Amino acid sequence: MNNPRITEEQALLDLLKDYPVPEADAGFYDRALVRAVHQGSRRQRKRWMLAGFGSAVAAGLAIWMISAVLMTTPQLPDAEPAIPGVTIAMEQEHTVRLVFSSAEALDSATLTVSLPDGIELAGFPGQREITWETSLEEGRNLLPLTLIALTPAGGELLARLEHKDRNRTFRLRVDVS
Amino acid sequence: MNDPHQTEVFERVVRPHFDRLYRLSWRLTGAKAEAEDLFQELLVKAFGMLDELVHIEEPGSWLSRVMYNLFVDQHRRFVRQRMHLVDEGHLPGAGLADLPGDFDPVADRERQEQFRRLDAALQQLSEEHRVVVLLHDTEGYKLEEIEAMTEIPVGTIKSRLHRARNRLRQILQEDGTIS
Repeated sequence: MNNPRITEEQALLDLLKDYPVPEADAGFYDRALVRAVHQGSRRQRKRWMLAGFGSAVAAGLAIWMISAVLMTTPQLPDAEPAIPGVTIAMEQEHTVRLVFSSAEALDSATLTVSLPDGIELAGFPGQREITWETSLEEGRNLLPLTLIALTPAGGELLARLEHKDRNRTFRLRVDVS
Repeated sequence: MNDPHQTEVFERVVRPHFDRLYRLSWRLTGAKAEAEDLFQELLVKAFGMLDELVHIEEPGSWLSRVMYNLFVDQHRRFVRQRMHLVDEGHLPGAGLADLPGDFDPVADRERQEQFRRLDAALQQLSEEHRVVVLLHDTEGYKLEEIEAMTEIPVGTIKSRLHRARNRLRQILQEDGTIS
């Protein structure tokens, strides 16, 4: 006869073992590599520039000039991460739901939603930017936004969360069908 | 200007570990955008330490440890505060449909429901318990590997693992997921 505890333990281990994780998006690794090299190189340049500046103070104008040349070297642009998007129908309400994952409970955070031309937030006709104060719980916080498209142009919605001197911005591509 | 040789060396050292690191990133953060951020942060940091990295015997372990430390240092703080679309693939059970492979629809639905419940149960664990059980029981890291990554003694890891499993079993028994 099977020991029920052992059976349960095995069932749990099987479930955990099979617990899936989505694969990385196609091209994510390549983009991450490119960004890492660009950002890493830029950080290296900054370190070198700072070192150059310190030496310049000590050694004189000649080294400072080299640093100045380095400082004017154009920087490579960062690869843009993929922006999530939704497609909504003209003149119909469509609710998108954003999740804020917060590591801690936060009081008095400020949330600002900036809308593209032709997209409105239900209940806020004619307003391109809506700001309100909110509190976040530790863990996942859900924010439903009901959008209405008045023109077919679409555009980018920005949701900016600020707390004290820290902030995060979420970008959402809104297409209109 | 980037040094092509440096870039090539970097890629040669890190790319073989990408899949495992990405999975680790997911397990630590539990969310797609955060997993991608953490993965990206790791690569940026690793590139800055390339001179050191090329001389490391087991770069995979080293990279895992650096990723874990980045997670502890940054992702427990405000940096974790990110905004996502709900259907972006980071709520319990989300993203399962994207997994490769052919499934029996009925059996798959049942299994997905079990995973959703497991996900919910995992959310009820403390972070330290959740991370240990996911690394050991799901990702197959050995206790010694987890010790090297987290700098937590094996004895403590075993104890957390034991408690985490007990709690999970209790939750999943109560909701009928396992019996």
